[in-house]
Amino acid sequence: MPENAITTRGLTKVFGHFTAVDGLNLDVREGELFGLLGPNGAGKTTTVRMLCTLIEPTRGTAIVAGHDLLREPAKVRRQIGVVSEGVMLYKELTIQENLQFLSKLYNLPKRDAENRIRDLLEMFKFEEKAKRPVSALSSGWMKKALISAALLHSPKILFLDEVTSGLDPQSAKALQDFTRDLCNRGVTVVWTTHYMTEPEKICDRIGIVFAGRLIQVGSPNELRSKVSEMSVMEVQTPGLSLQQIERIRTLAEVCNVSYNDPVLLITCVHDVELAERVTKILLSEGARIRSINTKGPTLEEAFIKFTGGEEEIDRFLEKSRAQK
Amino acid sequence: MLRNEFEWIPYSGELKALLAMSVRKFLSDVQAVVINEFRVLRRNRTAIVISLVIIPLFFTASLGGASGGAGTRFSATANIPMAFVDNDLTSASGRLYETLASSGDFDSLIQGYREENAVATLGTGRIYAAIIVPTGFQDALANSDATRIVVYVDDSVNGLDNEILSGLRNSLQDFGSDVEVQAVRRTGPSQIEIIQKGVAFSGFAFGLTIILGLVIIFATFYEIAGGMSRESEEGTYARLLLSPTSLGAIMVGKTVYDLILNVIRTFVVVGLAVYAYGARPNTDFGTILTLSLLMALLTIGFGFLISAVGAGVRAVIIIEFFLVLFLFAFSGFIIDRELLTGISSAISYSLPWAYGIEMLRRTLLVGQSLLSLTSQLLFVVVSIAAFYGLSYFLLRLSRERLVI
Repeated sequence: MPENAITTRGLTKVFGHFTAVDGLNLDVREGELFGLLGPNGAGKTTTVRMLCTLIEPTRGTAIVAGHDLLREPAKVRRQIGVVSEGVMLYKELTIQENLQFLSKLYNLPKRDAENRIRDLLEMFKFEEKAKRPVSALSSGWMKKALISAALLHSPKILFLDEVTSGLDPQSAKALQDFTRDLCNRGVTVVWTTHYMTEPEKICDRIGIVFAGRLIQVGSPNELRSKVSEMSVMEVQTPGLSLQQIERIRTLAEVCNVSYNDPVLLITCVHDVELAERVTKILLSEGARIRSINTKGPTLEEAFIKFTGGEEEIDRFLEKSRAQK
Repeated sequence: MLRNEFEWIPYSGELKALLAMSVRKFLSDVQAVVINEFRVLRRNRTAIVISLVIIPLFFTASLGGASGGAGTRFSATANIPMAFVDNDLTSASGRLYETLASSGDFDSLIQGYREENAVATLGTGRIYAAIIVPTGFQDALANSDATRIVVYVDDSVNGLDNEILSGLRNSLQDFGSDVEVQAVRRTGPSQIEIIQKGVAFSGFAFGLTIILGLVIIFATFYEIAGGMSRESEEGTYARLLLSPTSLGAIMVGKTVYDLILNVIRTFVVVGLAVYAYGARPNTDFGTILTLSLLMALLTIGFGFLISAVGAGVRAVIIIEFFLVLFLFAFSGFIIDRELLTGISSAISYSLPWAYGIEMLRRTLLVGQSLLSLTSQLLFVVVSIAAFYGLSYFLLRLSRERLVI
């Protein structure tokens, strides 16, 4: 069982009369890609800012990378990398100069720093862009520059706060793939976003944050299955016989089956292993399967259900805007 | 190396090593911040030109030009208020008044005083001398008889009587050699002291004290307060705070950077004042530089303080405007601090820059040694420590406001 990279208990942040984060109890495991999902103003960025020592919690405790957030903030800082809207680079300097400066602050030995900077610039394919001032970079390259800066000191935990906002779909996809790869190499990533589809694709687990509270945590499948027990499986399988269709109908989880060659639609109780069993049965019956696709509830539907419906979300957003 | 420097500490080797490591890290961070500041400056050519060339040159040249430039005769007594008591009330005494008033040595000659009132007013700071023209002055001139002009001088002002008598004698040459001028020192204690006007200094030296103070305060405040606000607004301050460096290292790094800029500025201003406008400072360059850097430290500390309260770049510009205006009004730029009364005087004596400017005047104009100005030096040093201490405390406290 992997240890927790981040553990918070009752973490709370109050700004004046506004409670931005309310009693957060969170466990992020080592090496996982953890998504914090919520609308704007839900408390995601405040949570990240507390966890990366930029702001102090009003109440509660947190252990980040094995260090107490309040007692050992300097040690926490050495172990984390942050990409967030309010944490930028010197726009007058090149990415290389920015990294050189940061390597000194992180006390990296000169040769190690040179190698690391070269590796990062190569990894992100900066090439001639490494010599341009940061202000001359496009938003996609700027994001890469910010991630390079966050990775310079090889942090154990990387916070990516709304990192794909403003990026074109290709760049966003590349960034998601890169982040997944980082996790595979043992880095714990906390990915905050308000895009519902994003964490569904890449995150191991997702925490749904709403009105400063963590209201659900689980894998995308777990979250989806919590909101609806039924799902529809669509199997592309041409030339099925009545006998073969009946074989499927007899399965305990299946409620209804309809067949319009070549599409077999199975309405069933949500079960992550059902697709595998249906596939085995059809193949044993000699059927040909072109594709199989389960349509469960989306994460967006799950989010709306968990947060009390669209009206509740609208009310929250309006209140949040008014408070800002 | 550093480990050896802590050998005197009577604790375990581990503690010494830890301390040495912390000091080494601190110095390394300071160096990194200084280099980074210069890298950012190097990329911003407009800032270099404005900060190091235009501001020093513009201020020095404009005040130099306005004061007549090089070689202008400067009278030590021109702006000292003096009473002209005319007991003769004849055309000769009138002509004497006009001669004195147009001589360039007595620009603040006040008519209308009675002799006893003028003498009684001496020591109050309203007038510093009373020139008494005796009854029968015209007749004496007409008959080539000897006559005596009596001058009462505030004796608390060193060297003032000689300056006034010398100016009077020069002006009275037209009236014949029979006119005798007698100085009468007013006895009794006086609280009034005028430094710069009791001493002869030449050329643009007086202007230099104003310009040096102005240039340093004007440029330094914006560099620090504006720079910190810009870093906060652009998100690079949050980047610094996220790194394992300390707030102290950031503050010291920015201070060192700005002190280096102020060394350059001092060279530019003093060089221009001396070589283009004929200023002849009564002290060495080392003293001027030390005072410049003390003023810079004061302003840097104040700049940190302003940035700690979360002022944006626009607010910094407005505060700078008021700061310079305040210093103009209350630091003796225009009106001597000694002549200010009531609330104006209280403000003037609570402004630490005013003490810095006073030290500049006392050393640069009068030639006093810096170490003899203990009280002013102490006030400035304590103010610097207070500004830095308070801003460090507030910057820690307002961390959240500066990174959101």
